[in-house]
Amino acid sequence: MKQPLTIALAGNPNTGKSTLFNALTGLRQKIANYPGITVERKAGTTIIGGVLHKVIDLPGAYSLNYKKLDERIAYETLIGSYEHEDAPDLVLVVVDSSNLDRNLYLATQIMDLNLPVMLVLNMTDVAKERGIEIDPNVIAENLGIPVFAMSAKNKGDIEELKSLISEFEMEVPRPLKWVPNPTLHEAIKLVIEEWIEPCTNIPERAQNIEALRLISEGEFIGAFYKFEKAELGKRVIAKARGIIEQDGGNPMAAEVLRRYNFIGEATSKGSVQTRQNEKTLTDKIDAVVTHKVFGPMIFTFVLLLMFQAIFSWATPFMDMIDLLFVEGGNWVANTLPPGMLNDLLVDGVIAGLGGVVIFLPQIVFLFFFIYVLEGTGYMARAAFVMDGFMTKVGLHGRSVVPLMSGFACAIPGIMATRTIENWRDRIITIMVLPFMACSARLPVYALMIAAFIPATKVLGIFTLQGITFFGLYIFGIVMALVAAAVMKRFFPKGQETPFIMELPSYKMPKWSVVFHNVFERGKVFITEAGKIIVAISIVLWFLASFPKTEMPEALNGDTTEYDSSFDITENPESYQLRHSFAGKFGKIIEPAIEPLGFDWKIGIGLITSFAAREVMVGTLNTIYSIEEADDAENATLKEKLRNDINPETGEHVYSIATAISLMIFFALAMQCMSTIAIVRRETNSWKWPTAMFVYMSALAYICSLITYQIGSNL
Amino acid sequence: MHPLSNSKEGEEIVVRCLDCNCDDVCRLNELGCVEGVNGKIISNQQNIILQLGETRLAIARKLAQTILVSPV
Ligand SMILES: Nc1nc2c(ncn2[C@@H]2O[C@H](COP(=O)(O)OP(=O)(O)O)[C@@H](O)[C@H]2O)c(=O)[nH]1
Repeated sequence: MKQPLTIALAGNPNTGKSTLFNALTGLRQKIANYPGITVERKAGTTIIGGVLHKVIDLPGAYSLNYKKLDERIAYETLIGSYEHEDAPDLVLVVVDSSNLDRNLYLATQIMDLNLPVMLVLNMTDVAKERGIEIDPNVIAENLGIPVFAMSAKNKGDIEELKSLISEFEMEVPRPLKWVPNPTLHEAIKLVIEEWIEPCTNIPERAQNIEALRLISEGEFIGAFYKFEKAELGKRVIAKARGIIEQDGGNPMAAEVLRRYNFIGEATSKGSVQTRQNEKTLTDKIDAVVTHKVFGPMIFTFVLLLMFQAIFSWATPFMDMIDLLFVEGGNWVANTLPPGMLNDLLVDGVIAGLGGVVIFLPQIVFLFFFIYVLEGTGYMARAAFVMDGFMTKVGLHGRSVVPLMSGFACAIPGIMATRTIENWRDRIITIMVLPFMACSARLPVYALMIAAFIPATKVLGIFTLQGITFFGLYIFGIVMALVAAAVMKRFFPKGQETPFIMELPSYKMPKWSVVFHNVFERGKVFITEAGKIIVAISIVLWFLASFPKTEMPEALNGDTTEYDSSFDITENPESYQLRHSFAGKFGKIIEPAIEPLGFDWKIGIGLITSFAAREVMVGTLNTIYSIEEADDAENATLKEKLRNDINPETGEHVYSIATAISLMIFFALAMQCMSTIAIVRRETNSWKWPTAMFVYMSALAYICSLITYQIGSNL
Repeated sequence: MHPLSNSKEGEEIVVRCLDCNCDDVCRLNELGCVEGVNGKIISNQQNIILQLGETRLAIARKLAQTILVSPV
């Protein structure tokens, strides 16, 4: 192939599409948005025979029936219904060789789309282990498309696949190769000729699939095309179904049964299973992990282990980063000539950035756990085990994985809700998901805990700090569940979607993929958060450093002139800060947040953290760097917080009640622009993000208020 | 014939009839649970785990009550 192609990778979930995608594109990939509905999609490029081709990794799908948003995206990409993007030039359907028949269902549907298709039999190593032998030539002949057997873990196979692609003549398989029986055939023809062609804008390549879907479902559910004369459509569909029923067939099953028959014939001659009925490793693990009693216990233990690990394993790395930034700041401070630029760099940029980069290790560990749990196949079990409980609180077993991803970040979590078919379940999951303690809260929790919760040992192995930390995560989970239970009452009940889920066999995750993904997420955190933080740090530094205020001479102690706005013990930096733009603004909002135990400096932090939570720490760092007196130059932020004295009252600014109130506020408030944006995109309306922002922020205010008022009066 | 939810662990069955609503039939079908296919019950505690060929399916008890199976 000499001209550049767009190659789409399609397939069931867990067939190794992403692994193949990574192998083909290497580092030449980017995560972008789908045009129009803008959900995350992965695209990259690969060089085959000197030509640069585009590769798209489609979301995993079991069929083209698009009950789930994920499947709809795959389908719409394949038929080219997105603006500015044609249908792909070649589809590689990736299938799991150890589970051929089930996987080929989707493949036969894609073969109906009038597109060049190549079948990639992946995971041949796993199939071999299970005693399944496959002859790709026989399968190719039966299906009428090129077939390549490989393992995505094998470099040589990838090269061979590339050369096969370059030699492929791009023939299009004959649609309906699975040969519908005569009545079904007649029904398809009728629906296309009397309804789809004259009355809809469904592209030609999708007409067979759409006709089949209408015949089996009997109505237009989920139809996303513009069409006229709906009444006529309904009559035509009823007539088509009638043709099948008259012949004694079932319109709902006619297509499926024929397809599976066709697949069965194609594979029975091309694959042999030599071993059977042995208890596999998956059986043995599942006996314990999905057990009624042990299952939930194991799930809780996994969560506990994850949080403990994040907190303790990450510490040495965090100390290292901290040191690096402190030393770097000092070096810049001493190297550059004193002045504005020096101040800006040291107090603004380096302090702000350092305050956030320090949490990179914890975020890396968190994502590492999430990817490992997903890669091994455990996540699906977690959903299975927790389904009963989740249903009781108004969620769904499928909500478990998105909620767990929410520990890392609400954004991938909200995107993962695309696998929930039922609209009500999906919306409720989205609405409560931001309560899960995401990694951006980590910095704030960690700072407050380290500064104000004593490291007292409890029960010999735990510390009070660790328990508080764990408690905050549990608090997030409980709030999410309570909110879901409440919301359930307000939503119309609608049709329930019972839990059905594939449990993939257990696998060792591919470590290079895990590390690659963790690296990508870390990079996104640093670059995305970094950009906002540097910008905010600079603005803040400016607001906190100007206007330059003359320091009253009283500060030196050699005058008796009285100025009520400062205290004799106050240092010049603190005085300047209080009279800066930021200080004035903080003072304005102080009355509103004072009942929560927050002063104006926390107030500034709260305002900036509505852009992103982690900005809070950077902000405090910037504010306290500007404020600090020279002798405190080397104190860490937590020490500065502990020692901060309110010049008006002479008391510590932070008490334990303040710290807890602040953590509760962060646990509950909707302080993340990106989450708001993604909810807007995923729900296609401003209604949900607005409701989310209002109810979460109100809840945060009320709970913090109660916490502080009770705490400070104890 | 009996509902899948009444099967015993380890029992080998044939799926006979999917008596649930259209959406659920669709889901089951594309996951390989079609009338006539053979399977084995891996677990029947709260929800059911059903092995169909190489596919392992977790199925809610409520749904399993509408799937009729017969012993092999
Ligand atoms: N043994 C084996 N494992 C594979 C192969 N391809 C992918 N995997 C593993 O299968 C799991 C799912 O792969 P992934 O690429 O995430 O699947 P996707 O959901 O289709 O994108 C991962 O743990 C991969 O490391 C293969 O050819 N052989």
